[in-house]
Amino acid sequence: MDHFPTNWGRPRNDAVDAYNTYPLHSRPVHHDSFADGVQRTQQPIVTGTSVLAIRYKDGVMMAADTLASYGSLARFKDVTRLHAVGDYTILGAGGDMSDFQYLKSVLNDLIIDEFTQADGHALGPSEIFEVLSGIMYGRRSKFNPLWNSLLVGGFKDGKSFLAYVDLLGTTYKDNAIATGYGAYIALPLLREIMDAKGPENISEEEARSMLTESMKVLFYRDARSLNKFQIGKITATGVEISDAISVPTEWAFAEKIRGYGAQTQ
Amino acid sequence: MSDLMAHPYHQYHPQQPQQRQFNPYTENGGTILAIAGADFSVIAGDTRQSEGYSIQTRYAPKVFKLTDKAVLAVNGFAADGNMFVKKVKQRLEWYRHAHSKDMPLRAIARMIQTMLYAQRFFPYYVYNILGGIEEDGTGAVYSFDPVGSYEREACRAAGAASALVQPFLDNQIYFKNQTPALGSAHPTHLPLRHVVELVIDSFTGATERHIEVGDSLEMYIVLARGRSLQGLEGLKDVRELSTPGSNGERLFVLRKPLKRD
Amino acid sequence: MQINGGSVIAMVGKNCVAIASDLRLGNQALTVATNFEKVFPVTDRIYLGMAGLATDVLTLRERFRFRVNMYTIKEEREIEPETFAHLVSSTLYERRFGPYFIEPIIAGITSPAKGSKPFIAGADLIGCLNFAKDFVVVGTASDELFGIAEGLWEPDLEPEDLFETISQTFLNAVDRDAFSGWGAIVHIITPEKVITRKLQARMD
Repeated sequence: MDHFPTNWGRPRNDAVDAYNTYPLHSRPVHHDSFADGVQRTQQPIVTGTSVLAIRYKDGVMMAADTLASYGSLARFKDVTRLHAVGDYTILGAGGDMSDFQYLKSVLNDLIIDEFTQADGHALGPSEIFEVLSGIMYGRRSKFNPLWNSLLVGGFKDGKSFLAYVDLLGTTYKDNAIATGYGAYIALPLLREIMDAKGPENISEEEARSMLTESMKVLFYRDARSLNKFQIGKITATGVEISDAISVPTEWAFAEKIRGYGAQTQ
Repeated sequence: MSDLMAHPYHQYHPQQPQQRQFNPYTENGGTILAIAGADFSVIAGDTRQSEGYSIQTRYAPKVFKLTDKAVLAVNGFAADGNMFVKKVKQRLEWYRHAHSKDMPLRAIARMIQTMLYAQRFFPYYVYNILGGIEEDGTGAVYSFDPVGSYEREACRAAGAASALVQPFLDNQIYFKNQTPALGSAHPTHLPLRHVVELVIDSFTGATERHIEVGDSLEMYIVLARGRSLQGLEGLKDVRELSTPGSNGERLFVLRKPLKRD
Repeated sequence: MQINGGSVIAMVGKNCVAIASDLRLGNQALTVATNFEKVFPVTDRIYLGMAGLATDVLTLRERFRFRVNMYTIKEEREIEPETFAHLVSSTLYERRFGPYFIEPIIAGITSPAKGSKPFIAGADLIGCLNFAKDFVVVGTASDELFGIAEGLWEPDLEPEDLFETISQTFLNAVDRDAFSGWGAIVHIITPEKVITRKLQARMD
């Protein structure tokens, strides 16, 4: 409750209100000189595109290409978007890469803090996810979001874990998740196999071929993607993130595509 | 150009910085529904979570057990919904530690109104329906709007397909626009099995005509203490969550597939 | 579409069809008349319902009367329901880029030569036809109508049962819509006769 009538917005002067109290209270309106200088809402600048992940027999496998775009410019072509957090978790990121970098440092500090406790407890994927979704939802609630779509995959105590969180703090878990364009292009391909077999009947080789095939399809259709990607897996033996894999591409068929584009017939 | 410059109010600003406003909300689809009986309460929701035309997941619960006799269904912006349920559960735990008993349903309802209104100027973008058993042993449903306005009712539908489901409930639960045969009256409360069938029909209907509803139905059933199963034993897909044989309220969950298209 | 309000529904039964409209005419939230029927006979066996902008409802009623008369004179026979549905569709599509703001519903029984079969169809404001086998709905209460019709309708209803089904569907739907209601009119069309009944409804 504001107890100062002058702040209520009603004109307070004798011409309008003869019964006005005198002297009028007046208080300087607080003005933050730096308000305009503070950048709150933003837009993504250097961005990564889709991340794909599936649960399979031995754990979770995740894939992301190594491109960080600056608008339509393919600015950085060797950026790792899969990041190991502790010993049981992989974090995959799409969206703003500087926000991702910040998140990595926050999670790194967290892992160090927990390690320093030396209490015999280590953070598993579900704990990391809880922290991460808390950060993301907290930042959106301050109107200052971290502009990312994130996948958290992990394996601990015989159980695999795969979940999504984005800039709004929206979360969900599933056997197959894809962010960005992957949700439109790759996810239907992944779900087709996942729905037919279930994660427990997908071998490591099959999981790898599912993701590789999906990454190829994405490269053909997503203009902000690259035919160079990494595959990370997390199983009982721990985290493994591959070196960048370049896959050959075939464009001869493009000549024969008709119906849209520049050609007139 | 020179014409424009001549006017002081039409000065040309070549690159005025433009502010795009970040939108902290989204809609995640789905529908929830609750019906109160004389000595039971049924709280249900579909499990699809979507954004736009994309199905994010086919199983994201919107209905949550709060205590042995209270169940909360939350629909709207999923991130807000999950956070709200988390905070309600936290408050209920504090209450348990302070008073060594569960908070009564009507008190949970008032607490939810307070918690929602506390965010009046940055609301939780969610519709809440609270169902359960009152201290006097009656089945109860409380429904809320996003800023806490609430009411105890016999039935309520909310969410994406609320407009499709609510009139059906008016007709089948409240017998609106129906006149009883001469010398008879409409029942004030329906039997449990009948209510369960109505909920299933509501969701199959909503699934048929609304793209954001489907995948599967998750229905919680709370029975007042000391009541018989009332035909629940004949239903498949039902699982008891409370410890069988305990003489408190009994809680059941029924899961049923809905169309996935 | 929400200026004048109003809703229409049609349903298929066993050798019969039913069509119903509300009676409200509004100016935004203000109700100005409670006797505005939105269903009109086209022939003895075909009825046309329109929901949307009231002025266009009246205009199109006259246009369709004219065009059906022309058809009857030229062809020297009564128009079939399906043919009439296509006539409605092309009339609306003629105004593709400056449309009449109505959505039509056609309900009828085909001629004895064609087997006296029940027929219903709906369309959007530019004439995209929808030949449903169960029911079609249009108007400000369309969401409500869809939901409750999906719950109440069943195949092969006899005329009196169809009347009860369409009436309950319609009344309970418009009671949840601020722009529709204030009474309703129902037509049950069978090969032999048309039964027309007015329904009393909530007036709020």
